[in-house]
Amino acid sequence: MTPDRRSLPFDTQVRLAVYDHFLDTGRPPSPSELAASVAASQEDVRAALSRLHDAHMLAIHPESGEIIMANPFSGVPTAFRVEVGDRVWWANCIWDSFGLAAMLNADTRIETSCPCCGDALSIEVQNGALVKGEGIIHFAIPAKHWWDNIIFT
Amino acid sequence: MLLFRSEEHIDRWCARWNQPRGETLTLEQGLGLGVWYTDRLHSDWRRKSPDEAEAFFAGLGLTSPFWSLG
Repeated sequence: MTPDRRSLPFDTQVRLAVYDHFLDTGRPPSPSELAASVAASQEDVRAALSRLHDAHMLAIHPESGEIIMANPFSGVPTAFRVEVGDRVWWANCIWDSFGLAAMLNADTRIETSCPCCGDALSIEVQNGALVKGEGIIHFAIPAKHWWDNIIFT
Repeated sequence: MLLFRSEEHIDRWCARWNQPRGETLTLEQGLGLGVWYTDRLHSDWRRKSPDEAEAFFAGLGLTSPFWSLG
C-alpha cells in the first residue's frame, strides 16, 4: 500500500484495494488477500466490506461475505466480457461495460450477446467514441428500485 | 441492463421471462452512462446524491419518471 493511502479512512483503503485487485487480476480479492494488502486482520476487512455493502459501494454475498460486484467489475464471469488489449474483465451489465471503458479511459472491446436470440453483439470504443456496435439497451427496473435487488438489476 | 439485437427481441424476451418492459437506450446513450464511473478509482469518490444522479441522467435525455430517484 502506498504511504499516502495509509492516511485515508480504513474503509476507503479497503475499497481501493478491492479495485486494485480487480484491475490487476480480473477477479475480486479473497478476504486474506485483502487483509494482506491493507495490513489488517481478516475480521476488520470483513467488517469494512459489510459497511461498504450497506453503503451500496460494492456488493458481497449475504452468506459467504465474498465480493460479488464492485461496479463496474463483476466478481464472477458474466455475459459482458470487456477487453482492453490482451486484458479481460467481466462487467455486470451493458452500463457497467461502458463504465469500464470510461473508468479505464482506454480503447475497449465489449463482447456480449442478445439474451433473446443468443447472437453475438460486439461493441468497440476508441478514444471515448463508439466506433463499432449494434443493438438496443433495455433497462427493466426503474432507477429508484435498482438497489432493491442489485444482482437482478 | 442488457443489450438486445432489436426492439422486437426485447418484447419477446420480456414476454418469455415475464419481465417488465422498461426503457430503451441507444448505444450512444449507453456510452454516456459509462461516464458515471469515470471517478470510481479516485480516493475521494462518493456516491452521487439522488439530485446529482437525476441531473446526470437528464444530461443524456433520460427525464421520464423511470429515471426518478425521489
